[in-house]
Amino acid sequence: MWKFMPYIAKGLWRNRTRAALTVSGAAVAMFVFTFVGSVQEGMANLNRGSQTERSLIVFQANRFCPSTSRLPEDYARALAKIPGVEEAVPIKVYMNNCRASLDLVVFHGLPPEKLRKIRDLKLAAGDWSTFEKQRDAAVVGNALAKRRNLSVGQRFSIGEVTITVAGIFTAANAADESFIYTHLEFLQRTRGLNSVGRVTQIEILLAEGTDAAALCRSIDEKFRSKEIQTDTRPKGVFQARAVGDLVELIGFARYLGFACVALVLTLVGTTTLMAVQDRVREHAVLQTLGFSWQRIFGLVMIESLIVSLTGGALGTGLAMAALSWKGLAVGSEGVTIAFSTSPMLAVIGLLATALVGLVAGLLPAWTAARAEIVESLRSI
Amino acid sequence: MALVEIHALTKEYHKGDQKIVPLKDVTLAIDKGDFVSLMGASGSGKSTLLNLIAGIDKPSAGTIHVAGVDITNLSRTQLAHWRASHVGYIFQLYNLIPVLTAYENIEMPLLLLPLARAERQKRVEIAMEAVGLTDRADHYPRQLSGGQEQRVGIARAIVADPVIVVADEPTGDLDAETSEQILQLLQRLNTELGTTLLMVTHDPKSASIARRQLRLEKGVLLEPEPPKVALAAV
Ligand SMILES: Nc1ncnc2c1ncn2[C@@H]1O[C@H](COP(=O)(O)OP(=O)(O)OP(=O)(O)O)[C@@H](O)[C@H]1O
Ligand SMILES: [Mg+2]
Repeated sequence: MWKFMPYIAKGLWRNRTRAALTVSGAAVAMFVFTFVGSVQEGMANLNRGSQTERSLIVFQANRFCPSTSRLPEDYARALAKIPGVEEAVPIKVYMNNCRASLDLVVFHGLPPEKLRKIRDLKLAAGDWSTFEKQRDAAVVGNALAKRRNLSVGQRFSIGEVTITVAGIFTAANAADESFIYTHLEFLQRTRGLNSVGRVTQIEILLAEGTDAAALCRSIDEKFRSKEIQTDTRPKGVFQARAVGDLVELIGFARYLGFACVALVLTLVGTTTLMAVQDRVREHAVLQTLGFSWQRIFGLVMIESLIVSLTGGALGTGLAMAALSWKGLAVGSEGVTIAFSTSPMLAVIGLLATALVGLVAGLLPAWTAARAEIVESLRSI
Repeated sequence: MALVEIHALTKEYHKGDQKIVPLKDVTLAIDKGDFVSLMGASGSGKSTLLNLIAGIDKPSAGTIHVAGVDITNLSRTQLAHWRASHVGYIFQLYNLIPVLTAYENIEMPLLLLPLARAERQKRVEIAMEAVGLTDRADHYPRQLSGGQEQRVGIARAIVADPVIVVADEPTGDLDAETSEQILQLLQRLNTELGTTLLMVTHDPKSASIARRQLRLEKGVLLEPEPPKVALAAV
C-alpha cells in the first residue's frame, strides 16, 4: 500500500480545508477526552500506593472540613503506644479553600523528622537538611510548584502563612505532589491559626499484618470518654469520603469522554463519506484500471485512519502537554486528585482514535468498493 | 484462434416489466494486432459491447474469450486483476486523476503490477515518448489541453502493455485538428507497436482509419463491405 501513499496524501490535500476542519474538530474532542481520562485516572490513583493501604487517619468525630477538626496533639503519643501502630504522626492541615477547587493549596504541618517515614518523596531540588533545620522551611510538591511557579529559596504566602521553599519534591503518588509540607510547630504558631497543642488529624502507619478495621474501632473506643472523640478510618476510605462529591462529578464526566469519541466518529465518518461521494467516478476509473474492490476499500480506510489519527494525536498531545505543564489537580476538603499524565493515557487516546478512524471508514469504504463500475463512470 | 472471441453475447436490462436489450446475440472475433472501429447510432449498444470486452461489465448471456480465458467466468476480484494486466481503456473524457501529475497518472496501472520502481519509471518514460509528451511529465491535468490530456489517457492505457486497448469515442470531445492527431497516434500505436485496438466512434471518417469496421444497429452487429467513406462524405 506504500506505493499509493502519494495518491492518498494528494487526495487529502485536494480537500485540505475540509480535512483540516475535521482534524481540528477531532483534536478538540480528543483534547477533552484526554482531560477527562486524566482526572479519571487521577481518581483511580488516589488510593494507590502502599502508604495508603497501610495508613489510618484519625480525625475529630463529626467534623468534615480539616479546618474544623481540632484534636489534642498528645493523642499522638497515646496512639503510638497501641500495639500494631508503627508511627503516629500529628498533622495540622491548612488550606486556602475547603470546598472543591482546581487550585487547592494544602499545607501539612508535621514534625519534620517524621515526614520521610510516612511519605515516599524524592527531592527534585533543594535539600532535606535545610527543611529540617529552618523553622519556616517547607518542601513543595512538584505539581503545585509548576502551577504557582515556585522555586527553591523563594518565599510564598497563602493567607496568614508564609513559608520559604526549601525543596521541591516528586512523589510516588501524584496526588501528593499538590501538597506543601511544613513544620507542625510553625503552622500551629502562625498568627491567626494559633492552635498550639492542637492538630487536624493524626496519621497512623500500621505495622505489618495489623487488622486495620479492628484497630480503627479500638482507637475510637479508647477516646470515646474523652473530651474530644475521634473518627478513625483507613486513609483510602477517608480520602474517598472527602472527595465524595467530586467522585460523582468525575464519574459523570466519563460520559463526556464517550461523547467526544462519538463526535470524532461522526466527524471523520462524514468527511470520509463526502470524500468518497466526490470521487465516485474516480474510483470507477481506478477499478477500470484494475484496482480490486479490496484495494479501493483499503485506500478509503487508510484515508479515514489518517484523518482520525492526525486529529487524535494533535488533541491528545496538546492535552498531555497542557496537563504536565500546569500540574493540574482538583481537590476537596483537603484531599487532592492529581490530573494524571501517564503515557498509558496517550496510548489510550491514540488507540481510541485509530479504532474510531477504522469504524468511521467502514461505511464509506464499503460504498466506494462495491459501486458498479459502468454506472459510476456515467456519473458526473 | 483469434485474440478475442465473442460468442452469442447478450446484455439485457430489466426495468419493471420492461426489457431493454442493448446487445442481442453478438458473435465476433478480433485478431491480434487488428485495429477495429465500431460505429452505430446513439444507444445502439457500442459502449455496452466495449465495456463487456474490457471486463468492467457482465453479460446476461454468452461468452468472451480473451487470449484463451473466458472472462465472463471470472469473479469480480479476478476480473480486476485480469484488467490490470490485459486491458487498456481510453475514455472520451480522459478521466485522469486530477490530483496526480501526468507522470503519476500514467504510472497508476503499473502500481498494481509487481514491478520495481526503476522498471516502472522506464515504462512510463517509454509510454510518454510514444504519445509525445515527455516535456509534460510534471503537469497536472488542469494544466494540459484536451488533446494533451487524451495523450496522457492513451499513455496510461498502453503503459502496462495490455493485450487489448479499447477506446470509447476517444476524439469525441476534441476539435477536428486535435482529433486528427489523436487518430494518427492510435494508428501509429497499432502499426508500430502492434497494439490491438477496438475503437468506438460516431464519425465515419475516424472509423475509416481502422483496418476493420463494424456497425451496431439496435444491438445487432453488422460488418459492412470495406470503405465507401469517401463517397459518403461527398
Ligand atoms: N443501466 C442501464 N439500465 C437500462 N438501460 C441501460 C443501462 N445502461 C445502458 N442502457 C441502455 O442500453 C442501450 C445501449 O447503451 P450504450 O451506452 O451502449 O449506447 P451507445 O451505443 O454507446 O450510445 P452513445 O453513442 O450515445 O454512447 C441504450 O438504449 C441505453 O439506454
Ligand atoms: Mg457510448
